[in-house]
Amino acid sequence: MTDFNKPTSRRDLLAHAALGLGGVALGGAFFPSAATASEPVTGLVDPLAPKATHFPAKVKSVIWLHMDGAPSTLDLFDYKPELVKLAGQEVPASFMKGIKEGVRGTSNKLLATQRQWKQHGDSGAWFSDLLPNLATQADKIAWVKSSTTIGATHDISILKLNTGDLSPGRPSLGAWVQYALGAANPDLPAYVVLYNDKREPRGGAINWSSGFLPAVYQGTAFRPGDSPILHLNRPELVAEGEQGSTLDLLNRLNRGHARRYPGDTELQARIRSYDLAARMEVTAPEAVSLAKESEATKALYGIDVEASKSYGETLLRARRLVERGVRFIQVVSGEIEIEGEARNWDGHNNIESNHRAHTRAVDKPIAGLLADLEARGLLDSTLVVWTSEFGRTPFGQSGNGRDHNPWGYTQWLAGGGVKAGTTVGGTDEIGMQAVGRKVDTYDLHATVLQLMGLDHLKTTFLHNGRSERPTVVYGEVVKELLA
Amino acid sequence: MKKKQSTLAFAVGLGLGLAIAVPGASAASAAAAAGAADAAAPRSNAAAAARPNALWSYQPVIAAAAPKVKAARWVRTPIDAFVLAKLEEKGLKPSPDADRAAFIRRATLDVWGVIPTPEEVQQFVSDRSPDAYEKLADRLLASPKYGERQARRWLDLARYADSAGFQGDQTRPNMWRYRDWVIKAFNADKPYDQFIQEQLAGDEIKPGDQDALVATGFLRGFPDNINSRDLVQKKYQHTTDMTDTVGEVFLAQTVGCARCHNHKADRISQKEYFQLQAFFANTSAVDDIPAAKGAAELAYEQADAKWKAATAEIRARQKAIIDKVREPARHYLLDRYSQATQASLRKLYSTPEAQWTPHDRWIINRFSDYGTDDVLAAYLRDNADPSAEQYKPEYAALADDYRKLGEELRKFDKLKPAGGSLEISAMTELGQTQAPPTHLLFGGDFERPAEEVQPGFPAAITSEKPVIVPTEKSSGRRTALARWIASPGNPLTARVYANRVWDQYFGRGIVETLSDFGKAGQKPSHPELLDHLASSFVEHGWSVKQLHREILLSSVYRQSSAFRQDIASADPENRLLAVFPRRRLDAETIRDSLLVASGSLTDKIGGPSVFPPVPSNLYTGNAWKVSADKDDWNRRSLYIFTRRSIPYPLLQPFDIANTQQAHAKRDITTTPLQALTLFNSEIVFDWSKALAGRVLRERGGSASAQLDGLFEIAYARKPDKQEKTTLLAFLDSQEKVLKAQAANGKFAVNVPIGLEKAGPLDPIRAAAFVDLTHAVVNSNEFTYRF
Repeated sequence: MTDFNKPTSRRDLLAHAALGLGGVALGGAFFPSAATASEPVTGLVDPLAPKATHFPAKVKSVIWLHMDGAPSTLDLFDYKPELVKLAGQEVPASFMKGIKEGVRGTSNKLLATQRQWKQHGDSGAWFSDLLPNLATQADKIAWVKSSTTIGATHDISILKLNTGDLSPGRPSLGAWVQYALGAANPDLPAYVVLYNDKREPRGGAINWSSGFLPAVYQGTAFRPGDSPILHLNRPELVAEGEQGSTLDLLNRLNRGHARRYPGDTELQARIRSYDLAARMEVTAPEAVSLAKESEATKALYGIDVEASKSYGETLLRARRLVERGVRFIQVVSGEIEIEGEARNWDGHNNIESNHRAHTRAVDKPIAGLLADLEARGLLDSTLVVWTSEFGRTPFGQSGNGRDHNPWGYTQWLAGGGVKAGTTVGGTDEIGMQAVGRKVDTYDLHATVLQLMGLDHLKTTFLHNGRSERPTVVYGEVVKELLA
Repeated sequence: MKKKQSTLAFAVGLGLGLAIAVPGASAASAAAAAGAADAAAPRSNAAAAARPNALWSYQPVIAAAAPKVKAARWVRTPIDAFVLAKLEEKGLKPSPDADRAAFIRRATLDVWGVIPTPEEVQQFVSDRSPDAYEKLADRLLASPKYGERQARRWLDLARYADSAGFQGDQTRPNMWRYRDWVIKAFNADKPYDQFIQEQLAGDEIKPGDQDALVATGFLRGFPDNINSRDLVQKKYQHTTDMTDTVGEVFLAQTVGCARCHNHKADRISQKEYFQLQAFFANTSAVDDIPAAKGAAELAYEQADAKWKAATAEIRARQKAIIDKVREPARHYLLDRYSQATQASLRKLYSTPEAQWTPHDRWIINRFSDYGTDDVLAAYLRDNADPSAEQYKPEYAALADDYRKLGEELRKFDKLKPAGGSLEISAMTELGQTQAPPTHLLFGGDFERPAEEVQPGFPAAITSEKPVIVPTEKSSGRRTALARWIASPGNPLTARVYANRVWDQYFGRGIVETLSDFGKAGQKPSHPELLDHLASSFVEHGWSVKQLHREILLSSVYRQSSAFRQDIASADPENRLLAVFPRRRLDAETIRDSLLVASGSLTDKIGGPSVFPPVPSNLYTGNAWKVSADKDDWNRRSLYIFTRRSIPYPLLQPFDIANTQQAHAKRDITTTPLQALTLFNSEIVFDWSKALAGRVLRERGGSASAQLDGLFEIAYARKPDKQEKTTLLAFLDSQEKVLKAQAANGKFAVNVPIGLEKAGPLDPIRAAAFVDLTHAVVNSNEFTYRF
C-alpha cells in the first residue's frame, strides 16, 4: 500500500518519545498526541513509535517470571497445617466439590509438605525453607493466593497464561504491551524473551506470539550466550569497516532510489532500519553482557554458585534490559538435570528432589533481582511477576509427587504501584481450591496492564470485524493489589 | 505423528481403523446428493433475491454493465471502466503505463513469486507484437511456478503446517500431500467450486479417490495437543477450528463471534453458529490411510527399510515391555481424563461396541490415537517408586529399560528418511453415517450444553435448508455444506475469493477486510467492480486463472507506480488506484528471488518438506534435522518444513503467516530485525557471493558490463550513468578498505562462488564486488516491487 504520510521533523519525534532514551523512533511517521493504544496500526509507518498511555503509568517495565512446569506453591508459599494433619488420608469429598476435570486417582492420599515453615518480614508472610533468600524480600511482595485458571495440561494452560486462550492464535500479553506502548528504546526490541535453558522453551514462539496483531509485535527471543539475537553477527570474514562501507553504499543506493518516491515514508523507514540494525549489532550484545557487572552484583544473583548460575545470569540480563527501557521481559525457567533426567518444575514424582533443585536455581537470583532493583532505584518503575500455568494438588501422585492444580495456587507481584505485603484470597484448608476473590489469568493481565498505564478494556485491536482486547471478554483489575 | 503398530492393531480390533482406510465408492448416494444440491441451487438464487434489506454481501451478485467513461481509450478490460469511472468522478486521471521492464518484473513477482530472468525481460521488452501482454500473461499462468505461488497464499488460509503445534509439536509427516494437492489444483486450474468441495468433503463426494481424500487435509490442519486430559473439550476444539476456519476462508464470515453469544454485528445467532458446527459433528482426523505407492512412496519405503531393519529388535523389545502392562497402563491413562471423557472411555470395557453412541466412538477413537506406547510408558515411570499407588517391584527396571531402549532408538534417527511417508492425513467420519448430537453451548462452554441443534445455514444469508443424504460411510453433512458454499447462488463465495485475488495484486481488497464481509467489516470501495469480478468468475466456470488473467491485462494493473503529487493530495491512501501501489515482497518471495538471482534455485515441484540450515545459535534439538541433500536447501520456500514452534528464521522476520489460524493477509512491517537478517545471514551472504560469481562469469571483464548484468538480474534495468559512477567509486574505495584489513595480517576475504573457469581474478577486487552485490540485494529496489 502506498502511504503518503508526510515525514515529520526530528523535533516532533523526540517530543513524542515518551521515555526519551535518546533515540529517534524508527519510522518517519509520528503519532499525533491523540494517538492512543487503541488506534489501528494500518498505514502507520512506525509501528513501534512510543504511544501514550491511558493514564499515568506506575511502571515502565515488566519482568514476567514464568515458572515452567508449575511449582507446588503448597511447598513454597501456601502453608497448610491442616494438610499435614490429614496427610495419608483420602481427600474428603467436600474439598472436591465442583471439580469436573479428571484428577488421576482422586483416591490418592493427601501428601503433607516435608518443609519447615516460618513467617518473614513485617507482613509475616509464610515461606518454606526452600526459599531462604526470597524470604528476606518478603515485604516487597503482594500475594495472590487464590489464583485459578483453566485446563490441566501444560500446553493449553501456558498458552492461557501468556495469551488468555487455550487455543493458539491470540497475542501474548507482551505483544499487547508492545503494540499499545511502542518501544521506549528503538535500539532494542521492546518485548524480549529470556530463558536459561540451552533449548528453547517448549512450544516455542507461540508463547510470545503476536497472534492476530501485526507480526512486528511478537517477542524477540534472546538466546543465551554472547550473541542474543539471530543474525546479529556479521557474516564470516566480513570486517567491521568493510560492512560499514557496504552499508554506506546501500544507503546511497536507497536514497537515490527514494528520490523517485518523495513522501514515501515506508521506504524511508526501511532505510533507517539498517542504521538501527547497525546500532543493534552493538547495543544488543552490550545489553546482555555481564562483563561490566561487579563480582558483588554477580554474587547477589547467585551467579557464583553453580546451581543458580544460569538463572542468575538470565535475571541479571533482565535487569540490564530494564535499565535500557525494554518494556516486557518474559523469563521462562529452564530444565534442570534431576536424577539423570532433564526436568522442569513438573513434579509428578518425587516433588522433594524436584523442588529442591529448582528452588536452588531460582531462589537467590529472584531475591537478588528484587534487592538489586531496589538498590538502583528501579523497583518503583519495574513490576516483577511470579507466575505459573497452574499449581499442584495437595494429594500425592506416584507416591511422592503432586498432580496439576488449576483450582487454587499462589502467584505474586512486586514493584512499582504494588501494595507490598498484602495478600489477596487464599485456598481452602488443604490447598485444593481457591476461596475468596479468585484471580484468573485475565485478572492478572488486566492488573499488569493497569500498572503500565493501560486500561485493558480500551486496549483494543480490530481483528476480523471484532474489537479484540488482551483479556478476551473477561478480566478485572485486582484493585486490592494496587498501592 | 506416526502410529505404533500396536495402536493400529488396537484400532482394527475396535473395527474403526482399516474400515476407513479404503473408502468404498458409493456412486449412487453421491449422485443423489448432487441431485439434491442441483435442485436447491436455483432456490438459493431466488432466496437471495428476495431480501433487498439484507446486508450488501448477502444480496445476490449482479453483473452490472461497465460504466461509461470519458477516457474510453484507457479501458482495456471491464475492470478499467469501473476504476476509471470513480477516478473521473473525482476529476483524477490514471497513471500512464509502467515501462515494460518494470511491468514484467511486477507481473512475474505477483504471479510466480520470483523475479524474472534478464532473458525473459529482454524478450518481453523487445516483443513488438500487438498481443505481447497477452502472451506474457498466458506464459506466466501456464508455468508451474504460478501454482506454487498461489498455493502459498492458499496455505496461509489453510493454517498449513507440517507439525501439530503446542509443546509436543509432533511432526505430521503426511501434510505435504495436501500442499502438493493445492499446487496441482491451481496449476490445473481446477474450478474453484470443485476446489472447495473436495477440501470440505472430498471423502464423501469422491469416495475412493485418493486426491479428494488428500484435499480434506484442509480441515485436518488444525493445531492439536495429544496430551489433553479432556477429549470432550478436544472434540469441541477441533469442531470449532473447522467451523470458524471455513466461515472465515470461504464466506468471510466471522461466525466464531457467535460461539459464546449471538453475533454482535451480524445477524447470526448462537444457535445458527452451532448449526454450522453440526456439519462437522461426525468428523474425525485420520493420519494412517495408506497412500498409493508412487515414486515418492517407494523411495521413502526403501530408505525407511534401513531404519526399520536396524531398529527392529529395539522396537520389539520396547513393545514387549509395554505388552506386559498394556491393560493396566491403558486404565491408568484412562483415569487421567476428565469425568465426562471417562464416561465414554469406560464403555470400551463395559459395553459392546454396537451400543456405543457416536459420541463415545469419537472419544474412544481419539483415546486410541493419542495413547501411543510412549504415552503408556508413563505408567511404568509413575509407578516405579515404592510409595506409588500401583507400585510393583519390577516397574523400576522396566521403566529404566524402556527409557534406555528409547535412547538407543534415537541413535538410529540419522538412518530415518529426512521426510516423506506412506500414509495420508485426512478428515473422514470413521466409516459411520450416524453423527453425534450437536448442542447449543451456553456461553460457548462445552460443559453447559443446552438445546440440540441440526445442521443449518444462517438465515440472514439464505433461506435454503441443507439437503443431507448420508453416503455409505459418512453422514453426508459436509457434502451439503460444501455444495451450498460452492453454489453459484451463494452471494459470498465468489465475491470473497475474487476479492482475495484482487488483494494479491493491489495490496488491498476491494473489501479491505478480506475475511470479514459482515457488518463490522469494511464496505467495498468499488462494489460494482467486485460484482463484475465475482459474476465473471462464476461465468467462466470458476476459472481462477481467468480471474488472474483479466486483472493482469487491465490498464489498472499496468499503471506506473511513479509518485504523483496530485494523487498524494487528492487520495492519500490511494484507494481509487490512480497510481499502482508499490509493495514490499513477502518473506517467501524475497528468499525465492534471491535463489533465482544467485542461480541457486533447485527447481523441483512438490514432495516431502525439506529442512534447510538454521543459524547455529538457534538450538533446535531433534526438531530440525538439516536435510542431507544440499539441493534441498535451495528449494522454494513453500517446501520448507513448517514447524509450528520453529518458524524458519530467515523467513520469520518478514511477516510470514501465522500457522495457528487462517491467515488472510500478510502484514508489512519494517524492522531492524529484518535488516539484520538480510544483511548478516550467512545464507543470504552466500547467495550474494553466488550472484557475484554468476555476474562475473556471464558478463566478462568489463566493470561496466558487470554492473549492467547485476542490475538487470536484480532490478530488471541497467544502472544509469550516475549510479555507475557511484558503484565504480565504491569498488575502488572498498578495495582500499579490504587491503587495509589484509594489512592486519589476516588476509581472508569473501570471493564470489562459482568462478572456476573465470581465469585469474584479483581476489580483493572480487571481494569488493561481492560487497557491492550484497548491497544491491539488500536495497529497497530489490525487496519491493514497483
